[in-house]
Amino acid sequence: MGKVVFQCEDSTDGIFTGIYDAWDSRVGHRNVKLEAGREYDMELFSEYRRVETDGVKAGKVAATIRRKLKADVYEQIYNATLSREKDKAEHIYRTVVMGLYMPDGENIMQNLSNYSVRRVFECSRRAGHEAHQFTGFLRFSELKNKVLFAQIEPENKVLPLIGDHFSDRFPLEDFLIYDKTHQMFLAHAANRPWMLISGEVPDKEMINDISENELRYRKLWKVFHRTIGIEERKNARLQQQLLPLRYRKDMTEWDDKEA
Amino acid sequence: MSLRIQEEMDLMEKLEILTDAAKYDVACTSSGVDRNGDGKGMGNSVAKGICHSFASDGRCISLLKILFTNECVFDCKYCLNRCSNDVPRASFTPEEVCRLTMEFYRRNYIEGLFLSSGILKNPDFTMELLYQTLYKLRCEYNFQGYIHVKAIPGADQELIDRTGFLADRMSVNLELPTSEGLKKLAPHKSRKTILAPMRQIQNRMTENKEELAVFRNAPKFVPAGQSTQMIIGATPESDYAIVSVAESLYKKFRLKRVFYSAFVKVNEDASLPALPGGPPLLREHRLYQADWLLRFYGFEADELLSEKRPNFNVFLDPKCDWALGHLEQFPVEINRADYYTLLRVPGIGTKSAQHIVQARRFACLRFEDLKKLGVVLKRALYFITCSGRMMYPTKLDEDYILRNLLSEKERKPLGIDGYRQLTLFDDFNMQAADIIRSECGRVV
Repeated sequence: MGKVVFQCEDSTDGIFTGIYDAWDSRVGHRNVKLEAGREYDMELFSEYRRVETDGVKAGKVAATIRRKLKADVYEQIYNATLSREKDKAEHIYRTVVMGLYMPDGENIMQNLSNYSVRRVFECSRRAGHEAHQFTGFLRFSELKNKVLFAQIEPENKVLPLIGDHFSDRFPLEDFLIYDKTHQMFLAHAANRPWMLISGEVPDKEMINDISENELRYRKLWKVFHRTIGIEERKNARLQQQLLPLRYRKDMTEWDDKEA
Repeated sequence: MSLRIQEEMDLMEKLEILTDAAKYDVACTSSGVDRNGDGKGMGNSVAKGICHSFASDGRCISLLKILFTNECVFDCKYCLNRCSNDVPRASFTPEEVCRLTMEFYRRNYIEGLFLSSGILKNPDFTMELLYQTLYKLRCEYNFQGYIHVKAIPGADQELIDRTGFLADRMSVNLELPTSEGLKKLAPHKSRKTILAPMRQIQNRMTENKEELAVFRNAPKFVPAGQSTQMIIGATPESDYAIVSVAESLYKKFRLKRVFYSAFVKVNEDASLPALPGGPPLLREHRLYQADWLLRFYGFEADELLSEKRPNFNVFLDPKCDWALGHLEQFPVEINRADYYTLLRVPGIGTKSAQHIVQARRFACLRFEDLKKLGVVLKRALYFITCSGRMMYPTKLDEDYILRNLLSEKERKPLGIDGYRQLTLFDDFNMQAADIIRSECGRVV
């Protein structure tokens, strides 16, 4: 049987609007499917509807999840919307529907033997884990104008998840974090809340214009990083398991250029 | 200008010398305390800890781990910095340590500072220097990140007390598990001078808890708790002795962590053991496994080892080893057993046990579900039932399970399909299990 497929934008608001429209369409939960983003194969017997992202609808869905399923579930669902997995929208929809029909919806994420719940749990965990990794592996460089700049290439959209951490940590600093994969910026000015800017590319000249002290501290850090390892315990496999190669290309200590 | 360059060379060299001297200290963790920044300085702290990089030996780099100075009046035989060794010596100034910490922290290289030191002149003098450094960092530079500092054995109580209010974690190194070992290898240290500050920190933490209960904004004393470390393999203690010491430290001194450090031979000395196979890394690994069993799985040291069997099995992890010796408690029914019983099953950890307890309220769990919940079925399948059934018709027999656990590849247990292809050249090794068991007793 063909289904009614709701194609929504690949963003938190897009997916939440999709949930609103799919529920509102009254074709029945069983006959509905959600897709976020564009990279899907078309199905022959399905009907396709485009979802226009709508802040009001998305806000209603978010508020309902917060009110009925409580903050912990909302957080996991929010994290899952940032995931790179293709089936996330569909399983978020199933999880929300199931949770809202339950008398104790706030326990929905414990039902891990259900496939949709488990997928949401996995998507959320992977995005959250990657965000945690970047709180450690991200490297700032000081530019001439004292701004701290960092570039990362995450698989999931982790910027909203690390914003609070870094602004709490460096309240008096101006910093910029650039997400190369999704072309998004996280910008923070001293004593101000952070914000996201999408669709822009950093100015090459600006980010290569590092301050005088920067090279010196990079060198000191490399010396420290090299010296702290114990030769008799050398274990490159363990090192790579804990710090996979994909993180290393933007990390100071793996940059051989100025060594 | 030339003066500046000279200065720069110095800091680089100092950092190299004092990092090199500090690298044998383990405990590079930044966990145990949640603290938001106050908005006026730099830094915060995250209870689960953050790893910022990994060194070539695979150990986490979380803190800027340095010695304040590697000059030392003590002559501990296992230590690179013993006073009779001819190595380049260096000392930081408090100012240099602060600048390094702040600049590294700002670039997100580190989570904080781990400051240890050799004994310069005398313990009091050294402790005073550490205190000054921490004071400068906290009060002048307004640093709110993580600080782990060593309490120097033999230093003035008052000094240790004051330092503790500036640090997140303090540690006193136990160095060696028994006082005989200490006497032999570290003639200037004694069990008494090490345990005294440890007890003092513990008492002060208890008092501080009461203060905090009354005055919410009272300054916190060592909020992330205290830890210690022991060197493994420099003296002939058995694993049983070491685990028992760790257990009593957890119980009597309320330590957060005990770290084990496989002995790396850096000095030639007649009283040190020769280690042709390198540092005893496997032994260290087994001790950490047992340490987790003590802290999170509700095991006691006496359950894992005994006077008769004083060392861990090299081939099996301590939990599997325990389970094989207590087959009368298995199989465990996944859909009914309580959390602590589940924890004792090999292949089930704290996370997967929690998931099982939660998920079975919604549906009866099957073996397929268990795999998804994070249970390591290749180990667990011999010890569990789902709705009264084993996964495969396996035998609850010690030798049989041992043989299967030891074959590395992930596959069905031997003989499950009823047949096994005979080959001419393979040794079927019917007695192998017995041979392995008789070799298991002693850890290398």
